[in-house]
Amino acid sequence: MAIFDYKKRQSVWSYVVASIVLIGIFSLIDSILAIGYGGIGGRPAYPRSDNPRTESIFVHTLEPGSVQEEGVLILNNTDEQKTLLVYAVDSVVSSGGVFACQQLSESKKDVGNWINLAKSEVTLDSGTNEIIPFTITVPSNAGVGEQNGCIVIQEKKQEEVQTGVNISFRTGLRVLITIPGEIVRDLEIIGFDIELLDDGRRLFQPSVRNLGNVSIDADVQIVTRFFNLNYAQHGGKFPVLRNETSDWNFELQKPFWGGWYQSSFAIEYEKGLDIEIGKETGNEKIRLEGLSIWFFSTPKPIALAIELVILFLIGFSGFLFWFSKKQNKWIKENWVEYKVKTGEDINSLAGRFNVSWKLLAKTNKIKPPYALKKGQKIKTPPASK
Amino acid sequence: MHKIIRKLLGKFNIITASMATILLISVTGMGTYVLASGTSEFSQTINVGTLATDIVDDSYVTVGSPGITMNSADFSFACQTATSTFGTATEQIYVQNPDAADGGWTLTIAATATTTVWDSSGTDFDFNDNDGTCGADGADPDSLGGQMTIDASAATLAVGACSSCVTTDVNKGASDAFEQGTTDDITLLTGAIASDDIGDWTLQGVSISQTIPGEQPAASDYTISLILSIATI
Repeated sequence: MAIFDYKKRQSVWSYVVASIVLIGIFSLIDSILAIGYGGIGGRPAYPRSDNPRTESIFVHTLEPGSVQEEGVLILNNTDEQKTLLVYAVDSVVSSGGVFACQQLSESKKDVGNWINLAKSEVTLDSGTNEIIPFTITVPSNAGVGEQNGCIVIQEKKQEEVQTGVNISFRTGLRVLITIPGEIVRDLEIIGFDIELLDDGRRLFQPSVRNLGNVSIDADVQIVTRFFNLNYAQHGGKFPVLRNETSDWNFELQKPFWGGWYQSSFAIEYEKGLDIEIGKETGNEKIRLEGLSIWFFSTPKPIALAIELVILFLIGFSGFLFWFSKKQNKWIKENWVEYKVKTGEDINSLAGRFNVSWKLLAKTNKIKPPYALKKGQKIKTPPASK
Repeated sequence: MHKIIRKLLGKFNIITASMATILLISVTGMGTYVLASGTSEFSQTINVGTLATDIVDDSYVTVGSPGITMNSADFSFACQTATSTFGTATEQIYVQNPDAADGGWTLTIAATATTTVWDSSGTDFDFNDNDGTCGADGADPDSLGGQMTIDASAATLAVGACSSCVTTDVNKGASDAFEQGTTDDITLLTGAIASDDIGDWTLQGVSISQTIPGEQPAASDYTISLILSIATI
């Protein structure tokens, strides 16, 4: 009983101590969980609810001579305090017709020159952010259609020069200004190639040209068929910049089965002139069909082994079928009626006529136990002379 | 009866200790905490993310001074080509989109200026001269030859730390050479509109080749600065 009391007291004390510790922790600590994605960069400070794309790029339709006030949210999600350069530049077309931001060292002639940032540099503690206001002043002689620029965020630091290629990083936010007027939205397919890589992969390389003066989100579709069944689909929705040709590389892993494959290329984009990028209008879509290309792919080794076995089985089955037909024809044309005599059974007759007893049984539809009666008429090969 | 009670009590103590330990570990291990007030309120902040690019090691930790070392070349009277690979297992090209570029993004590489050259204490050579003939000086304003080609088409694209992400709708750029005023930026990756809104990707094995003019003086200090840009589109 004494032991019981001791254990009971110990147990109670365990609860009390644990509770005090926990209460202490809960009451004294205001725990802040900071979950952050690393990196430095920014995003539009005032996205519009009617266009989800404005959460990641600046989109405005502005008359020549007008001024738009905006803001960029600068973020430091690294573990250290950072001093960041914030600057506006013109856009540039990278290889493949891809949107990119010009370098700080290049002179600004277009949208980069229209943007006036309130600050060019900001120092942010870890996990903090700041909105930098800016204005976009559209010159009165701005051309109709889409004009692009960037707001770029880059860490300010002393470059550590080492032999070879030194790499630095920056994040750009597209600034897309549409000047109202005679808008042209038109795409054309330029080409479609398939390149075979050394390891058997194939690169699909479609290209599309924008004949208009605004960028268009083109839905690129490449469908690969094998025995008229859909084998693979590649593509995606990519912006094609005004007056530019865009090309892409889609990779098809070496197919398991060898054979002839057919790849077809098509694009779709929304019809209409008053379409703001990023807004889904539900408009009818224009579809342009490109080339269809056939290509032969050798099978992978395992597939080749399987294919050879299948081919062998098909060939062997064909041979058996052919042999069976030939045998049936021979039986039909040559076998004659024979009357079973006393003491003869299927085995003795098979030996006498030099055929298997199974063939005799099958031809004469004799069922187990394969007994023959005297006088029974059966078909047999002609007696040898 | 006493034995059973003693055993049960023993187990209760173990359970109590285990629970307390788990609670303590979870409370202290969940994140940064600050002694601030006497209240028992928890608060959680998820910082707004930003589209970013970086060079990271195989544990996704930023590499301090990333660089690319070209394969060494010997002095030659004839033009020659040096090669290298951008993006390795320990210096991966890294893209992260924490719901910051739902409309897609592009990753491009360029020199910090179109007038940049492979700089050394001696004679420099160019990186963006479309010479037609290997290493010869072209039409651009400088009097140096040499051209750099970057090919991401055969590089290996993979998802990063995000296990549920996919590489679908992320497109690798084609092989292209820098040419001043014509090709100042080369595309490495393009994230389509339908690419993962929240995702991260790595790229390894981007081929780099550089033509070096004939009779280029031997030196071990040739350097060039390139900038990796990621942009929302």
